[in-house]
Amino acid sequence: MPFSSSHVFPWPPSSSMAVFMDLNIRVDPDKSKLQRLIDTAAHLGFSTVALNYVFEPSTKKKQEIPVPTPISELIGELPVVQGRSRPIRVLNRLTVVTSDASHFRPNAAEYRRFDLLAVEPTTEKLFHAACMSYDVDIVCISVTEKLPFFFKRAPINGAVDRGVLFELSYAAAIRDSTRRRYTIANAVCLMETCKGKNVILSSAAEKALELRGPYDIINLGSLFGLSDENSKAAVSSSCRSVLLHAETRKTASGIISTSRTDQQEALQDQTDPGDEPSAKRPKHS
Amino acid sequence: MSVDLSSTPRTLLVCERSSFQEEKNRVSTQVEQLRFNYKVSLLLPECNSLPSQLESVLDSFTSFYLIKQLPVYELLDKDFLETAVYQGNVYGLSYKTRIDEDNCVALLPNGRLCLSLDKDSFEVLGFEGKPSKFNHRTKSRFVISVDLTDRRMAPGGRGYQRLLTGLKSRLQLQTDFLLSHHPGGGASLQSLLSRCDWSEHRPQMSQRGLTELSCPAVHSCDPHSLLEWLGAVDADVTCENSSSSFLSTLACPEPKTTLSRALSVSVCGLLLPQDIQRLIDQLRCYLQQPRLESWVSLTVHGFADSPVSWGENEHGFLKGGENFYTLLMFHNHTYRLHLATGAHDACPP
Repeated sequence: MPFSSSHVFPWPPSSSMAVFMDLNIRVDPDKSKLQRLIDTAAHLGFSTVALNYVFEPSTKKKQEIPVPTPISELIGELPVVQGRSRPIRVLNRLTVVTSDASHFRPNAAEYRRFDLLAVEPTTEKLFHAACMSYDVDIVCISVTEKLPFFFKRAPINGAVDRGVLFELSYAAAIRDSTRRRYTIANAVCLMETCKGKNVILSSAAEKALELRGPYDIINLGSLFGLSDENSKAAVSSSCRSVLLHAETRKTASGIISTSRTDQQEALQDQTDPGDEPSAKRPKHS
Repeated sequence: MSVDLSSTPRTLLVCERSSFQEEKNRVSTQVEQLRFNYKVSLLLPECNSLPSQLESVLDSFTSFYLIKQLPVYELLDKDFLETAVYQGNVYGLSYKTRIDEDNCVALLPNGRLCLSLDKDSFEVLGFEGKPSKFNHRTKSRFVISVDLTDRRMAPGGRGYQRLLTGLKSRLQLQTDFLLSHHPGGGASLQSLLSRCDWSEHRPQMSQRGLTELSCPAVHSCDPHSLLEWLGAVDADVTCENSSSSFLSTLACPEPKTTLSRALSVSVCGLLLPQDIQRLIDQLRCYLQQPRLESWVSLTVHGFADSPVSWGENEHGFLKGGENFYTLLMFHNHTYRLHLATGAHDACPP
């Protein structure tokens, strides 16, 4: 039996590889606002979105990591994605904004409730730690202020090797012209070091008007220094890499080997049988 | 720390100037090669209403069928192959599938079945195929192109069995499907349609009368500006370029004249090359009669999400999936033909 994706991935095996995804939609307690956000995302052509719970711990008082509300309680019927015949898929994501090393607790049990885990470091030391050692899927690049540090090759390459991706969000650029300059400046700075690989673009939208369609975001990526192909990957195949990375992070003792280095290559090696011509494939009933 | 924004996405434009009376003119071969046509737009200058002959040709465009959730293995059904595919009758294209996101299927009239699949689906299906020419870094899209008329794919043969079991049991591929046939071949599709949820559709026609239209000198205008102007007219974008409006800075190429009226007609649906050829012949007759303006423009758009464009060239969608041709016809039997594609496309023939 060829290596079937249904054994590995929990979602239906016919899910597509390069669908458009927006992995950062700010969750809002107002259900109707959230419903409008999801409806707009589906109408624009996004097949998967992730509701982002932002957790900003401070050393002063003890804060609880938020618990994600089940999707069925938040949203009524999931709208169908425009131009396709499947409903939109909604995931849960946690972003931990860290300003101190103690803020991110590795292997905390509360993190398991979320499908995706992201960290937003605010200092250079934390950025280095997030890229090299934290068990996360996404490292957020701040867009609301000028970066206090420069990106160095070493942590960026370390993150690329581990399969951790960098995220740039664009809703702040829509809201404010100063933030627009910061977004573009920080993005261009990142692209110079990482050469456009391992980047995802997402909205961080708080209302439906802050969402943009996938092809518009591909054009926006060119302002950030991404080539057309890289920009398109930033909203489709790189997002899929994030989801795969999250899966392996959760099922560490399960079906897939979780060697930290070359994680993406390990997955691709296992699903490679298709590349051989059919005559060489082992006979099966 | 600035970004180079001067490079634009790659587009290809092939232009040809010739005459219909020339023996080796390529118009009919071009028309035949672009098999899956979505839209035909006509621009008739100095024309109030559609002449009756043109109207009758447009009304007689073949209707097409939309099948909901067709299991793709049905296209390999023995009866369907014998009555329809082997006769060279059938055009089929998956509907509501995006070439850069989903699995797409195309059935060409020469008996070729093209499947454009993502990596997971391709590996689950287990049939020979090649990686797409437009893969970036990782091979995420694969194309399977099978000649159903080949004797290796005859029902009962090994290749046929392998594909059939693949589509039936391993990868149960189901898509909405648009199906059409050569005029007169409708009966051959009945056996397939009787098993599915189908509906028949007529190509939708719409007309728009335009007044005071600024128009470039079509004989001498360069192709890019001319196509841009034609597109603006078709999309109902003004070419005024007034100083107070920032919506559009498109302008009519100089030197320009003003047409007191023009007619823009468009037909949408799954349109067959034969119908378009008849339309071209009828337009030539229309041009022979004395007219105020001696030209007519015809633009034929291919489907943006079709796996193939001209012939069997692979087609992809980067930021736009355009594959169209514009035929500018003049009354002295001369024409200018422009074939255009977007970034993920081979050069048009």
